[in-house]
Amino acid sequence: MEKMKLKLLYSDLKSDIDIIEQELEQAVDSSSYLINDASLHLLQAGGKRIRPIFVLLGAKFGNYDIEKMKDVAVPLELIHMASLVHDDVIDDSNMRRGRPTVKSQWNNRVAMYTGDFIFARALEYITKLEDPLVHQILARTMVEICNGEVIQIEDKFRLDQGLKDYFRRIKRKTALLISSSCELGAVAAGVDAKTVRHLKRFGYFVGMSFQIIDDVLDIMATDKELGKPAGSDLLQGNITLPILLLKDDPELQPYLVKVFAGTLTELERQNMLQYVRKSHAIEQANRMSDKYLKKALQEIDALPKHPVKKKLRDVALFMGKRKF
Amino acid sequence: MNATYIQNSITQLKTEIFMDVRHRTLQKYTGVPVLDENQLFYLLIPFLNGEEWQQEQQEAAVTVGIVYAALTAHDHIKELDATSKEQQLTVLAGDFYSGRYYEILAMSGNVALIRNLSQGIAARCEHQIRVYEASQRTVEQWYTSMSNIESGLIAQFFDLYAFHNYIPLIEKSLLILRLEREWIAYQQGQMSLMGKALEASVQRIGATFTSVIQEKIIQLKTELSQMIGSASFLQSDMKQALRAHVEASIASTNG
Repeated sequence: MEKMKLKLLYSDLKSDIDIIEQELEQAVDSSSYLINDASLHLLQAGGKRIRPIFVLLGAKFGNYDIEKMKDVAVPLELIHMASLVHDDVIDDSNMRRGRPTVKSQWNNRVAMYTGDFIFARALEYITKLEDPLVHQILARTMVEICNGEVIQIEDKFRLDQGLKDYFRRIKRKTALLISSSCELGAVAAGVDAKTVRHLKRFGYFVGMSFQIIDDVLDIMATDKELGKPAGSDLLQGNITLPILLLKDDPELQPYLVKVFAGTLTELERQNMLQYVRKSHAIEQANRMSDKYLKKALQEIDALPKHPVKKKLRDVALFMGKRKF
Repeated sequence: MNATYIQNSITQLKTEIFMDVRHRTLQKYTGVPVLDENQLFYLLIPFLNGEEWQQEQQEAAVTVGIVYAALTAHDHIKELDATSKEQQLTVLAGDFYSGRYYEILAMSGNVALIRNLSQGIAARCEHQIRVYEASQRTVEQWYTSMSNIESGLIAQFFDLYAFHNYIPLIEKSLLILRLEREWIAYQQGQMSLMGKALEASVQRIGATFTSVIQEKIIQLKTELSQMIGSASFLQSDMKQALRAHVEASIASTNG
């Protein structure tokens, strides 16, 4: 149902998204059949293609040409894909989007080489654009994402952290790449600096809202909907917003002790999830997501008059209210 | 140019690489980036031989070193269990180094080298992953893979800056060094996955690993020696330095 809504939302960009899908397949084409298999495995797992969508929407404010825009949209999706392959090694994840991960289907090394290959192809692809600014934005984003991941590992299983730590983490983990997608689409389309700034901020706020919802869904959605066990973030030691808001709750404490000790049983996982689902933390987290969403919508208001503003609003609202 | 000058140049390059990728947390858990001094020596050959070498070429050499450090970090990830903090951060160290090489070249607007190195990285990954593919490969195909892994990125750099003459030299030299490492590892029972794959290919043709690899090393060294002798673009002290490397490796093989 939700995927249908998403498709409807993108319907007028469908032909351009189809071009991007085709390009993605070509971009990961390799002389190694194993890399081909692993890359196609990733592409076929789907994904919302949020980053390419934001590239295209950002570019609509300038000289929109899909032939040029795909040179930005394709690498951004590839970078996202590659980082997921490496993340699965770090998190020792066996399932993603209901499918076995590259590292579980093959092994960690295959995942590392596949990820590096896809990263390399992304950079090779974006060098079709000679504008140094494009590369500077993307390079800084990649380094910052990595810094965010280092911090995430340092913060694992640490309850002595505050909201500031969490927001700093999700900014780098998710919001930056969405923000850069909007910015890069606009820069490549020759959009004026003021509009680029608003689009960049819009992407940042949407990204923050999106990640909070993602963290809420990790608790609220079923294993089937998630394609992996609900509560996986916490099981891997990642303290997300709902858990952070409940960290001092005496009823949750015994569960956390067992999670950190790696002794949580399946029944206890279910009970813990039930407890968090019914708690105030979910509503509070949703409210925080809404605050970011509102800020994103304010950035849209500041953009010059353009028919695509409605589309940006619809996509932002969908992302902030999604159920999967 | 003497041995001290060469060593100082390598040390300076290493220092620049370390400075460009320094990261407190990564260094705490994963140590400094792993760099192969032989690779750095061959990376600097055009400079040591007096070719035009401005800040741009030096920066390019630094980024090639960073890319090798990134890929080497990922070579250290265990196949089945990478759950320790050190392993997790080694994954990120490789990604961070990759981000930094891109950032350095993006800041100086060197899009051409970003393109060349990206192509080099993609090719290297394709060669690295061959050991996990089921298809049977010939001995020569494994030599090609090893050669690409050791020298492919340097070749991409040399190609961009028109140091084409040096490419066959570094390809042969670094392949010799790789085969010698594989030979020593074979004797110690600690072969790399690719070394084992090479051994399997040797066995399929009914030969012994020892004879095949020794013959190949001797053949490569003979060719390299001739190549150095007839390379009119090499200064005499550079020829000497390269020969010294060859002789050192001959001594280590015979010894």
